[in-house]
Amino acid sequence: MTKRIIPSRRLLSTFSYYLQPSQPHALSSQYRPLSTITLVPLTKPRTTSPSCPSPSPSPSHQPHTISKRTYKTVQEQQSRYKSGPFSWGAGLLFLGAGAALIFFFRFEKDRVERERVANATKGVGRPKVGGEFELVDQKGRKFGSEDMRGRYSLVYFGFSHCPDICPEELDKMSQMIDLVTSSPRSQKNTLPPLLPIFITCDPARDTPAVLDAYLSEFHPSLVGLTGTWEQIKDVCKKYRVYFSTPPDVKKGQDYLVDHSIYFYLMDPEGDFVEAIGRQHSPEQAARIILDHVGDWKVGA
Amino acid sequence: MGLFSTTPTSPPPPKISSDGAPIAPDRTQRAKCWEGRDEFFQCLDKSGIVDSITEKGKAEKACSTEGRKFEANCASSWVTYFKKRRVMEHHRNQTLEKLKAEGAKQMPGEIGPGALGQKP
Repeated sequence: MTKRIIPSRRLLSTFSYYLQPSQPHALSSQYRPLSTITLVPLTKPRTTSPSCPSPSPSPSHQPHTISKRTYKTVQEQQSRYKSGPFSWGAGLLFLGAGAALIFFFRFEKDRVERERVANATKGVGRPKVGGEFELVDQKGRKFGSEDMRGRYSLVYFGFSHCPDICPEELDKMSQMIDLVTSSPRSQKNTLPPLLPIFITCDPARDTPAVLDAYLSEFHPSLVGLTGTWEQIKDVCKKYRVYFSTPPDVKKGQDYLVDHSIYFYLMDPEGDFVEAIGRQHSPEQAARIILDHVGDWKVGA
Repeated sequence: MGLFSTTPTSPPPPKISSDGAPIAPDRTQRAKCWEGRDEFFQCLDKSGIVDSITEKGKAEKACSTEGRKFEANCASSWVTYFKKRRVMEHHRNQTLEKLKAEGAKQMPGEIGPGALGQKP
């Protein structure tokens, strides 16, 4: 079997060698005088030139042999060949599209995460933070949860006789308010400015006048709320705030109130969005607030 | 103790607001109180006292002037609160040191001074 295959293969290879038309070898040069005689007998016999080795270069076939891309110089063609299908433009487009996609996905991821946090308390069967209340502000006017509608509010619980944490946190809150309201991002927003609220956990000592004097040292836009012990207990329960004031304190008694220390960011529908704690700097807190405010869509 | 009986041991009575309730210490009063506290605690640090409530006698001996000033500028509830917090912070720092010595890694984020006890 092998003896038969080997000669036939050799034969084929010799055939294919001779049949290649572009090779100017002995056989085609032997044909050439014959073809020139038979095909173009009237024209001047061609001399075999190395630049035109094709066996039958008829003028009608010329346009097909030229490729569609034309190059002015050989150098241009060579450089085109060397760089292949890639060019600077294509590379830049590729990188730009990649960077844009990465940016977009990161942005979307953050937004979706915020949306998840903001919606965690919306709907049925979710833990509810916040709720209806009716209290009195530092000027003695009535102030209820209805007054918080239509804008974001930042709620903080504390008491005026607080040794150090509440005043520190209220100073931080003032910085946060200024950062949020002065930000160009909130100027673009159609919502009314952020409403900062301070609710006392010590209604026995924190009367409206006391709150007025106390809060005047902090931000002017702060709303200080007080009420009866039962009312305060009710609000704290709704906001899941822990506090411990003795309900039967004597007048002039000196005591402290133990309470949770978080800022509650509430959305324009009165739903809880996110808690901001002591670990957040005013800048971080302002960014969190601005991000949520920026996400808000009317009727969404 | 006739020498100290003339110095006040509690802050001046608070101002009364328009609706009859005492107004809480304002910014300057708070700053004065914190200043007195820091001086007292510095003195305690020098004397190697952590808990000035259980080691009352020792603290009074070593830091009587600072102690008087502290008590003169802060409400008594604040004084006890700061003294207790000092002990709590000392224990917290010791625990942190111990954990660090054991090779614990610190997690990202900060622990605020009030984060552990959540006292006001």
